[in-house]
Amino acid sequence: MNVNKANEGMNDSNIAHTSITPPSATGELLVILGHAPHGSSLLREGLDMALVAAAFGRRVSLLFMGQGCWALQPGQGEGALGQKGTQSTLEMLEMYDIDNIMVEAESLERLGLESSDLVLSVSVVDAASVQQAIASHTLVMNF
Amino acid sequence: MHLHTLNQSPAQSQVYRQALAAMADDDCLLLIEEAVQGALPHLIGPFEGLAGRLYVLEEDLVARGLLERCDDNARVVDVEGFVSLTEQADKVLSWY
Amino acid sequence: MRYGILLLGAPYSNQAAHSALRFARTIIARGHQLDSVFFYHEGVHNAARLAAPPQDEPHLVDGWAELQREHGVKLDVCIAAALRRGLMDEEQAGRHGKEGHSVERPFELTGLGQLVDLGLRCDRLVTFAP
Repeated sequence: MNVNKANEGMNDSNIAHTSITPPSATGELLVILGHAPHGSSLLREGLDMALVAAAFGRRVSLLFMGQGCWALQPGQGEGALGQKGTQSTLEMLEMYDIDNIMVEAESLERLGLESSDLVLSVSVVDAASVQQAIASHTLVMNF
Repeated sequence: MHLHTLNQSPAQSQVYRQALAAMADDDCLLLIEEAVQGALPHLIGPFEGLAGRLYVLEEDLVARGLLERCDDNARVVDVEGFVSLTEQADKVLSWY
Repeated sequence: MRYGILLLGAPYSNQAAHSALRFARTIIARGHQLDSVFFYHEGVHNAARLAAPPQDEPHLVDGWAELQREHGVKLDVCIAAALRRGLMDEEQAGRHGKEGHSVERPFELTGLGQLVDLGLRCDRLVTFAP
């Protein structure tokens, strides 16, 4: 499968493991998560926002891009002072019926992350699918 | 059309890559705050494919002494132009 | 058109709050309605009632309050983000056994549900971030 135009000219040795699945559903709210856990609270507060929206009955989709992909790295824990990470929040998504969870292929590739080794079952999407997801949601918020 | 704003310099942060990936063919990009550096000839490289759809906020260029150094391919808009872009866009996405 | 603004940046630390206030005033000047500014993440510090910047610098807290006074813009502050950063109104101060309070009207502590509603209710939601 031709992954996407964004991968042109890149070493594509990892790409064979990714599956490109177009986002299945439209929804009301798309939360784009672009910041890493622990270094700032943007990821955590973005996820809180998604959970609250879902708790209020909104259809919520998540899209991890750039540094946000680090949220999907397995084996995360608390910080040395006991400060919370985000892995426990990710484990609650299913309970809140947030099941349209996407990650951008090029971001994974750049960070050396494998789609087969992530904490959640996610749809790996190309740039065109990112654009489609943005168009098909009523409200898009970047965290 | 969607408007994407970017506030990080391409010389400092790679978040512009996400903005570009998220942009459809008729979307516009507005450079604000530190991102106005991306309108300079030396740093405009990543945005070269956006002919006619790349905007930069005038007052953020002026404050940094960069207005005169701005590349011709970036369209300079004042804050009214910023608001006008948000009026025309169905959605506004902020990359930071 | 109905607008909402989401502000994630702290005042006097990065440009986000200045950009947001400037944008807010401009949309109103162009005849749009600004329903609410929602303060989240570090943006909650914009609600610090004790902010006392030097007189030759723009007073952001007063700037937000003026939008409320003159144009009825709601100033909503995420309560969870505010409490953990020491920003609370009199009621919350009492509840948490604190002397003094750091947030007062026209800023109002509220939940994230208000942000979701704002985004879905308005024609445009524009985010300003650090």
